[in-house]
Amino acid sequence: MKINQRDIASGVFLIVVAAIGLWLNTEHTMGTARRMGPGYMPWLVFWLQIALGAGAVLVGLASGPEKMPRWKTDEIGAFVGSLVVGFAVWWLLSGTEGFLGTGYNALGVGMLAGFLVLSISPGWRFLGMISASMAIFALLLERFGFFAALAGIIICSCLPERDHTKSPLGVLGLVAFLLALCWFVFIYELDIRVNLWPTA
Amino acid sequence: MELLLSNLAHGFGVAVTFTNLGAALLGALIGTAIGVLPGIGPVATISLLLPITFGMTATTAIIMLAGIFYGAQYGGSTTAILLNLPGEVSSVVTTLEGYKMARNGRAGAALATSAIGSFFAGSVATILVAASGPLLTQVALSFGPADYFSLMLLGLIIASVLAQGSVIKAIGMVVVGVALGLVGTDVQTGQQRFTFGIPELSDGIGFVPVAMGMFGIAEIVLNLERPESRSVLSTKVGSLWLTREEFRRAIPPVLRGTVIGSFLGILPGGGASLAAFGSYMMERKISKGRHQFGNGAIEGVAGPESANNAAAQTSFIPLLTLGIPSNAVMALMVGALIIQGIQPGPRMVEAQPDLFWGLIASMWVGNLMLLVINLPLIGMWVSLLKVPYKYMYPSILVFCSIGVYSLNNNVFDVYMTIGFSLFGYLCNKLRLEAAPLLIGFVLGPMMEEHLRRAMLLSRGDAMVFLQRPISATLLGIGAAALLAMALPSLRKGKDAALAE
Repeated sequence: MKINQRDIASGVFLIVVAAIGLWLNTEHTMGTARRMGPGYMPWLVFWLQIALGAGAVLVGLASGPEKMPRWKTDEIGAFVGSLVVGFAVWWLLSGTEGFLGTGYNALGVGMLAGFLVLSISPGWRFLGMISASMAIFALLLERFGFFAALAGIIICSCLPERDHTKSPLGVLGLVAFLLALCWFVFIYELDIRVNLWPTA
Repeated sequence: MELLLSNLAHGFGVAVTFTNLGAALLGALIGTAIGVLPGIGPVATISLLLPITFGMTATTAIIMLAGIFYGAQYGGSTTAILLNLPGEVSSVVTTLEGYKMARNGRAGAALATSAIGSFFAGSVATILVAASGPLLTQVALSFGPADYFSLMLLGLIIASVLAQGSVIKAIGMVVVGVALGLVGTDVQTGQQRFTFGIPELSDGIGFVPVAMGMFGIAEIVLNLERPESRSVLSTKVGSLWLTREEFRRAIPPVLRGTVIGSFLGILPGGGASLAAFGSYMMERKISKGRHQFGNGAIEGVAGPESANNAAAQTSFIPLLTLGIPSNAVMALMVGALIIQGIQPGPRMVEAQPDLFWGLIASMWVGNLMLLVINLPLIGMWVSLLKVPYKYMYPSILVFCSIGVYSLNNNVFDVYMTIGFSLFGYLCNKLRLEAAPLLIGFVLGPMMEEHLRRAMLLSRGDAMVFLQRPISATLLGIGAAALLAMALPSLRKGKDAALAE
């Protein structure tokens, strides 16, 4: 057997997503082929996806040998931990009073917490911190303003890169340069509607 | 012929206004810059700039976005020649001979060949677009809903057949894209589908978060994980003038490359990279300088560079005449048109003559600008390469984030982009191609509409797709394409053609 783990994983992924889709689709009326209801096309699409996923699995049994890189213990730990922490924080905060509970902030804090846990493991460092930096941007933007959000995303995204941690001055220069550039492009030229400074 | 000329004259009248010239120049400059810079491609850039185009007229917006696309083809070859690093996928084969020429001290000549060849090919392809557009449109106007459905299906099949790697996985990604397109309000019944009660999803998932997440942000993470892909400039450009001998040797490959590129560009999913590779293979077999291949043969630069630019221009043909995107960039163009309230399709030539002919004229104007931008100003682009990636990626990230937010002034779009960047990262690890997904995502809602209409007209009889001659022919071609990929020899040829 020349097993291709990537193809099999892809096939399983397609099948799982389609199965969830089919389950969600049960609440939509199918209609008939002549007068299709809202559930008809999704039903067609997800069954096709399951067939293709099964096909990818079958092909994967013979198209190898190819192995996925094995996850290290710390990578598995950080991955599971990030899911647990992220969803827990989101669940705890949603519906609470104040800044952290309003709008999509609970989702944002949950994402941020999850991504920070993820980036504890060196293997997930870049994925975790880059995603975390975007969550920081979204969290800070409306309440704390354009400049605070930009400084947050830039500094956070620079943290995982070793070259940057060796020279913090370079990061500060980058922050100053990008703040000025983005102010000019997005505020002065394009005039997007966003608070520049923190609001009470 | 006379009509074509008067239409082109009308187009130039639109393209040579102050605003539209500015838009073409801006697009060409941005396109060259991102072409030169490895790590950010036209898909991410165009999705990033979509919100900015809301304030422009449709014509100006499309002219600028098109400029970015073909500008990137020019810029991509600069990095390929000077750094042995393809700025874009379509310039991969340029590294083979172009970088050797640079090592032989002929970097300037390679750059000049590539720019002049691209300009010539671009001009020819533009005329081809202008001539074939109205013809194909006439054909397309006789299409019924069933024919449209089959045509889109064919487009999706060819796009997946020509995508990199496994065909079955590529079709799988198309289907995932179609599924993503289902999210939102059902047009005919008004029912919410897969929205989880989130009001932001009732208009459907925006394609900017999808494209930006999967092509922009995920790419940053992957680049950071591969530090060896960053490189330093060491070669000198040297004289840009070709010797008489080089000039004579470059002409036939340019002509052949233009023909190959114009043809392959029309095929959905194939486009520029396939054209460049096809031309390279041909030159290595038949050109006069074939014995020099591997040591910096000018034919190996002239042919592929002409081919990829010709293909970039002709890939507009399916979009402008049928409303069907042939690659991920064209899928974004469809999005841009829809945002502007224009439904891409065969009626566009008559309903939007300014847009149609203005865009075609601007392609030629833009190619002329790119010749100037790329040759005398080459030093400027070379210095852009000296910016290290550690400064570049936070900038890209910041621009993407603000761009996504300004789409609807809603942070939900930023969170959605994070989600899609994780998904894009996962797909990369599983070797699932993102480009077919984007095409499926854009075509999905249109396909559903045509399918429903066709079935309503046929009273629920699915045989209508085989009974109508146009539809049956299109489906037959699609089936043949799928069968052909089942043949091992053809599949190997394709894999070699698309291997990076």
